[in-house]
Amino acid sequence: MSEDLIAVIIMFIVLFPIFMTAVIMYVGQKSEKLCTALSLATAMATFMAVLSLYSEATGGNVIEYPLFEVLPDLAISFRLDILSYSLALLSSFVWLLATIYSLDYMGGEHGKERYYPVLIFTLGSCQGIFLAGDFFTLFIFFELMSLIAYILVIHEETPEALKAGYKYLIVTIIGGLSIFLGVIIIFEVAGTVSLGQGPLFDEYSPLALLTFLAFLIGFGIKAGMFPLHVWLPDAHPVAPSPASALLSGIMLKTGAYGLLRMIFDVFGMELFQSLGWNHIMAGLAIITILLGSAVALTQNDFKRRLAYSSVGQMGYVVLGMTVFNEYALSGDIFHIFSHAIMKSTLFLAAGAVIWKTGKKKISDLQGVGRQMPITMGAFTLAAFAMIGIPPLNGFLSKWTLCLGFLEGGYTAYVIVLLVSSMLNAMYYLPIILPAFLGGNGATSHHEEDERTGQAEYPVFEVNEVPLRMVIPVAILAACTLLFGTLPTNVPFELSQYTSNFLLDGFF
Amino acid sequence: MYALEHVLNHLPAILVISLFVFAFIMPLLFIWKRDWCVPVATLSMGLSLAMSLALVIQVNQVGTFVYHMGGWEPPYGIEFRVDYLSAYMLLVLHGIGLLILVYSIGDLKKELADRVIGWYYTLYLLLMGAMSGMALTNDLFNLFVFMEICAIAACAIISIKEDRECLEASFKYLILSAMGTGCYLLSVAMLYMITGYMHMEKVAVALETGAAEYPYNVLVAMSLMVVSFGVKSALFPLHVWLPDAHASAPSPSSAVLSGLVIKIYAVAMVHLIFRAFPRELFEMIPMLEIILWLSTLGIIFGSIFAMVQENFKKMLAYSSIAQIGYVFLGIGLFTPTALVGGLLHILNHAVMKSMLFMVAGIIIYSSGIKRLQHFDGIASRLTWTMVAFTIGGASMVGIPITGGFISKLYLAQGALEVERPFFLLVILVSSLLNAFYYFPISINAFLAEQKREDITFKPVLKSMLVPVLILLALIIFLGLNPQPVTNMLEQAAEMLFE
Amino acid sequence: MEVMEILENLRDNYFYFIAMVLFIVGFHTMLTHSNLIKKVIAMNIMDTSVFLLFVSIGYVHGAKPPIMDTVQPEGVYINPLPSALIITGIIVAISITAFALSLVAKIYQYYGTIDADEIAEIRGSEE
Repeated sequence: MSEDLIAVIIMFIVLFPIFMTAVIMYVGQKSEKLCTALSLATAMATFMAVLSLYSEATGGNVIEYPLFEVLPDLAISFRLDILSYSLALLSSFVWLLATIYSLDYMGGEHGKERYYPVLIFTLGSCQGIFLAGDFFTLFIFFELMSLIAYILVIHEETPEALKAGYKYLIVTIIGGLSIFLGVIIIFEVAGTVSLGQGPLFDEYSPLALLTFLAFLIGFGIKAGMFPLHVWLPDAHPVAPSPASALLSGIMLKTGAYGLLRMIFDVFGMELFQSLGWNHIMAGLAIITILLGSAVALTQNDFKRRLAYSSVGQMGYVVLGMTVFNEYALSGDIFHIFSHAIMKSTLFLAAGAVIWKTGKKKISDLQGVGRQMPITMGAFTLAAFAMIGIPPLNGFLSKWTLCLGFLEGGYTAYVIVLLVSSMLNAMYYLPIILPAFLGGNGATSHHEEDERTGQAEYPVFEVNEVPLRMVIPVAILAACTLLFGTLPTNVPFELSQYTSNFLLDGFF
Repeated sequence: MYALEHVLNHLPAILVISLFVFAFIMPLLFIWKRDWCVPVATLSMGLSLAMSLALVIQVNQVGTFVYHMGGWEPPYGIEFRVDYLSAYMLLVLHGIGLLILVYSIGDLKKELADRVIGWYYTLYLLLMGAMSGMALTNDLFNLFVFMEICAIAACAIISIKEDRECLEASFKYLILSAMGTGCYLLSVAMLYMITGYMHMEKVAVALETGAAEYPYNVLVAMSLMVVSFGVKSALFPLHVWLPDAHASAPSPSSAVLSGLVIKIYAVAMVHLIFRAFPRELFEMIPMLEIILWLSTLGIIFGSIFAMVQENFKKMLAYSSIAQIGYVFLGIGLFTPTALVGGLLHILNHAVMKSMLFMVAGIIIYSSGIKRLQHFDGIASRLTWTMVAFTIGGASMVGIPITGGFISKLYLAQGALEVERPFFLLVILVSSLLNAFYYFPISINAFLAEQKREDITFKPVLKSMLVPVLILLALIIFLGLNPQPVTNMLEQAAEMLFE
Repeated sequence: MEVMEILENLRDNYFYFIAMVLFIVGFHTMLTHSNLIKKVIAMNIMDTSVFLLFVSIGYVHGAKPPIMDTVQPEGVYINPLPSALIITGIIVAISITAFALSLVAKIYQYYGTIDADEIAEIRGSEE
């Protein structure tokens, strides 16, 4: 493919959804069916466009494309390298599935004319973040995405949603200002903010420290790192479930992406290691992992438990990026993939359960598995993957990470990983087991059994959710299996390419 | 064609004089042919906008040029000096002035008594003329005269509403303004004593030797000037007149006052600092340092006071104090980049604040709501208005793709250039504080339930909504494509600094 | 002696000194006295003091007034520039005074008092 064509496709991926937002907003006021159809078409088109660039990206090409200059030296530019591509592919895939899921989930809800445009806009700006060619573009799309996602958070307009949304808004603005601080310092010190120029800082200076802290705070807020995670457990549950899946599954990853770019494009591995900052990040990551998993145990609200689980899992991602060898980095990127898939499955499945049964508390979930076997089956698969049971993709990512930690000499990290896996099991199994094996409360079963004296058999009364909600969940769950078992699978390969790319210094 | 050339030669003078002439025709028209008032006023503003554009084009072609009133050379005559900054300021003044005038057509019928509407246009055109004169003039005493015209016109467009609050606010503004003028006149007297000139550049040349001989005089003169312009442009802590004055005035007046009047004094101060005083003087006297710290206090305290306000227009007025602080921050940091940021913020804030005051006026016109707690759910009836408010608020905070972001970008760069990252933190913290009082209003308006049942919504006039939408488009345009403006400003800053 | 020098300077430049005193009197009155009419008067005093300063700067000992003498054009005239400026200044000051006084009249009509403290109280209780 010629370079120009690639550039056009990249711009299409980012700008087409944003353009379609206006169209969908206008159309949505006239006809709902057209609105949803257009949203679906946009998500599909974006995903196809990203897919089409697969060979280009994995061929090792790096394509940069400046769009226009806002100010001298500060332009909106795009960039396709293997890291960008991996995340763009992942996010467009999950977005597509979430959109399909939304078609039925949002069927009876209010505010659809607001939900769909925002969904598509955040898709476009998320792609903009991943495909950004410099920190300025990244910052602009980051701000836009975070602020517009507020509308998704407060969608239900209940008092809790509004409170959570307000907290989210303030924290987002603080994060945005933090990143702005970092970007402006980089611009001042290095004269340019482009990615792909090699490390922008050569040596330590107080300003470099300030940049590190600014980016750590700014991207850390988004990624849910301790102690900046406080908005997450409130904001993710109150959003509609497909939006929660996207928030937890993808938008957290933009924070991780920013941190990766910070490490490799702003400071460079050598400087970062020599200053010992990777240990600071590792420390915070470890606290995040343990804290997230521990607090998840105490939550009774279904989606809140999943949100805290996200906090813990993102800790793995941050931990992985502080160890600079091939296994750790490929495990890190692969964990980004895996967690996105797993968490999306979990949230979509949870959403299906809540949508169908209206039960939000875990203590109410007994017997749900018999009612909705496919959904809960998918949930189980994803939960097992989270815990790290082979041969699922979660196991593969944790295994690779552990190999990387051992190779780097960080045996302590391995122990943390094991402990948290155990904690994961402790908070997922109590959801799964009662769902399939638990009683149905006071139902006719008990009375029947007492009268006939027969042993209780769990009976499956299947009452599933509509097909368009089941399929995305099932696909994602299948992915957890596929990407764990198949010897050659796309995400794992991409992760390996990416880690080699980063380590070799081909920014 | 000869006539046109003649006009072009005398453009600076014609600009100012035409505005005055039209201002004086207004009352006559009001008595004779009432319907002609508005079109003639609009015609006048349109003409002056065209003339400002012509001046900008001229400056781009030939660079800075001077115009001598009546052909008399300085030091006998008064000189109008058109450089990039003056041309930029004129464009800002007349562009936004025209939009506010269009807005006022609908609004005034409700706010003012019928017999004074003609006088309003007189005062408005006088104000525009005086401000244009202030932007153009290169003579210290001429600046004084225009300052006074501006002061009377500004106070009068507040008090023309003739209710209890605006009279008291207008009087307070007048007294403080007169104090400022007195100080300014005294400083001019001091400078005249030392140098014997009124012409700014000649004063600078003479001061190079004069400052060594009479250091205390120069110090007093400079301080009095800063105080004087500080009072008039609401530099902390001399801002006390602003909240009452801007909040109690009719909405178009608030828009003009907040958007344009306080800025022109900052521009006049820039002219004075860069033209009338030699550069070495500022290394001896830390005047800029003082301006820098006062501006910082203004930024922080303006936002803090704004957060606790219940009246919508009072909140916007306190926000103006914070925003003019940014302009002074740009001046105080004293590097070209920071100055561009400050000057760009003049345009950005003029656009934003005028739009916000127009929004306030529309809300008051349509529903009579003045207090923020009654804003619940009004977005369902006043959708475009509240959308404009949200974008304006986002621009105040400094969200990318709005104009406010670009000026903050320049200011932040400037702060780093002089290696004072503290002011960068000030900018960021104040952006956050801005979010605290702008976004809750938007959230309330869009999402909350309308509590008061007794509000009836009158339909919004087109003539009131269209300027708001034009300004809204301008904010986003300036956010994405600021280069035409920043180019002009960078040339202006370069020229000022050489 | 230092003090003698200062006193001598003061005696020689007594008009500057008086102008400064008047300026400070006007300034202070404007800020501290609460009667609105007094504020307006003080504004006038302040402006007048600066005009005094200006005109006295232009004075040249033993020179002729700055009016063109067609009979005997040579000789020293006092500096005409300050005088011209001050005429403008006086007009400006008058217009401001007129406006201020009309405002005071209107305020009296609405508030029934021209004492700034009482007005502030009334405003405070109205809010």
